[in-house]
Amino acid sequence: MSRFNKRYTGIYPLLLVLLIGITLCSIRYGAVQISVKEMFSGLNHWFSSPASMSLNERIFMEIRFPRAVLCVLVGASLAVGGALMQSLFRNPIVEPGLVGTSSGAAFGASLYFVLGSIFNFSTGEWTLPLAACAGGILATFLVFILSESRQPGRNSVVALLLTGIAINALFISGVGFMSYMARDPQARSITFWTLGTLSGANWHSVMITGFTSVVCILLALRYTKHLNALMIGEEEAQFMGVRIKRLKLIVLLINLVMVAVATAFTGVISFIGLIVPHLLRIMAGSDNRYLVIGSALMGGILLSLADLIARLLLQPAELPIGIVTAVVGVPVFIILLRNRNYYF
Amino acid sequence: MNRYIIAIAIAVGFTACGRFGNKDEKQDQEERIVSVSKQHNEIIYALGAEKDIVAVDISSTYPPEIKELPTVGYHRALSLEGLLAAKPTMIIHDGPASIGPDHVVRQLEQLNIPVKEFATKGNTIDSTKLLIREMGAYFGKEQQADSLCNILDADMETALENAKKYPDTPKVLVIHYGQAMNVYLVVTKKNTAAKMIEWAGGTMAVDDPKAMKQLSAEVVAKSDPDVILLTDFGYDRLNGSQEKIKELPGVSSTKAFRNNRIYRVEEHDLIYLGPRTGKNVLELQKIIHADEPV
Repeated sequence: MSRFNKRYTGIYPLLLVLLIGITLCSIRYGAVQISVKEMFSGLNHWFSSPASMSLNERIFMEIRFPRAVLCVLVGASLAVGGALMQSLFRNPIVEPGLVGTSSGAAFGASLYFVLGSIFNFSTGEWTLPLAACAGGILATFLVFILSESRQPGRNSVVALLLTGIAINALFISGVGFMSYMARDPQARSITFWTLGTLSGANWHSVMITGFTSVVCILLALRYTKHLNALMIGEEEAQFMGVRIKRLKLIVLLINLVMVAVATAFTGVISFIGLIVPHLLRIMAGSDNRYLVIGSALMGGILLSLADLIARLLLQPAELPIGIVTAVVGVPVFIILLRNRNYYF
Repeated sequence: MNRYIIAIAIAVGFTACGRFGNKDEKQDQEERIVSVSKQHNEIIYALGAEKDIVAVDISSTYPPEIKELPTVGYHRALSLEGLLAAKPTMIIHDGPASIGPDHVVRQLEQLNIPVKEFATKGNTIDSTKLLIREMGAYFGKEQQADSLCNILDADMETALENAKKYPDTPKVLVIHYGQAMNVYLVVTKKNTAAKMIEWAGGTMAVDDPKAMKQLSAEVVAKSDPDVILLTDFGYDRLNGSQEKIKELPGVSSTKAFRNNRIYRVEEHDLIYLGPRTGKNVLELQKIIHADEPV
């Protein structure tokens, strides 16, 4: 076992250094010029005398810093979710939104945008994340319930996959219907949200996402061996003592919580969950323990990088991050796939 | 590895083009106003109060010199750091419905950035005059405000007198290109543009509870307009060629198309009211009554 793990000893430090480097960059650069001195004094004032902070110090402490942290957390959540789902379904095209979570969340959010302005209910800081989270959970449970089969011996994972695709299509058409109904400002909000943005980050969202992502990733690590067994085949895993149904439920719940919370605060961010596990497999194989730890690090790296580009490219305006992850992620992914002899 | 670094570098290079690349020429000013309302911006320039404006939103296009200012993006998709990079001492907007996204508004509040929303909403001629006066008082340009209001009154009077002389009230269809959704929209009677058309002695062809509605063959055929106005962006997108305009759903079967009565109008002349509204109505009259003897 120790020899097995040695392959990764070089990769973890590399990813960690990259993660720290890119996080420092995303703290350092932005549309507003903030000097390193102001950063340190901002950090100092935050704890000693919050009332006396200058504007730049507050921009740093209340806007940019939480955003950089949220980036890392959301990236990690999505990438780990992707790794878990790909292993569970033993299918390379799966991404964390597959069981309906992100399209449900998008539907919840667009419902909020359209109905919110019709009925004019109070639009506090939490209404949108709650609506999105509720939509994500609703869609995922629909997938769960509809994919349950009474017939014994049916391949439940395939049923789940197909039900997920169907429910996704349903909720995406729901989003489409909502943006058709919407007036111009609402439609713009929906478009903006379905492409994702981290510009709403604050310490509340960081704390909530931080809590769920850390707990879920630690929990996921406990089940990586079972997932490894599942890679051989569903029946084989059962012979090895894995309780498939329970494993399926737990992994799906972990994924649901991570993705629903991350999506609630940032909108739908595509491709991170799909690409990161593949990149890691290309680098050093498909042991699930390595994939989960690696995804947590690399998801943070890639999303921070994408966010940095989203913020700096059209300065002072900002691109939705989903565009950046797709435009940068897809070509990189295809180049890598073509360059190596890569097997799932 | 190098290949996509180059690709990213090229992408970065592209952004140097267009209005996003405008340089801030007013670095040393103490008073720095960022205004994200196209209607307010036009009034500010008409008042001659543009000295303190350091950045505007991308939809503000009148007067032409406003395009030389740095922009902070679209007024409903602002970025907080983008706004603050202009180092504003004041941000002017025209109401919660037109500034967003919501979390950016909350962040502005949280950081105590001064934000100004004028109490008057200029959606009729009278309230537009009130708005001009309110803004005149705010910028210390009361005299200019008075003279702008007088000119507006005089122009409107001429326009309304003119309108009575035309025997017909042509049905006008306004097609607007919604850049946010990449669809063509028709403007309805609920829109400010409908008032302009009415003052000009025409009538809006489409009615709907929403101010804009997606363009479809049925909507156009049912309304059968005498005149079609296409706003600037949509018209230019089709290069103004009759062939391409014909391909818009339903347009080829209208009277307007048969009689070759499709015209380009500037969005900022039609979609909101301001000091030039009287003159714009007069221009509209020339267009929509082009075939009538006065």
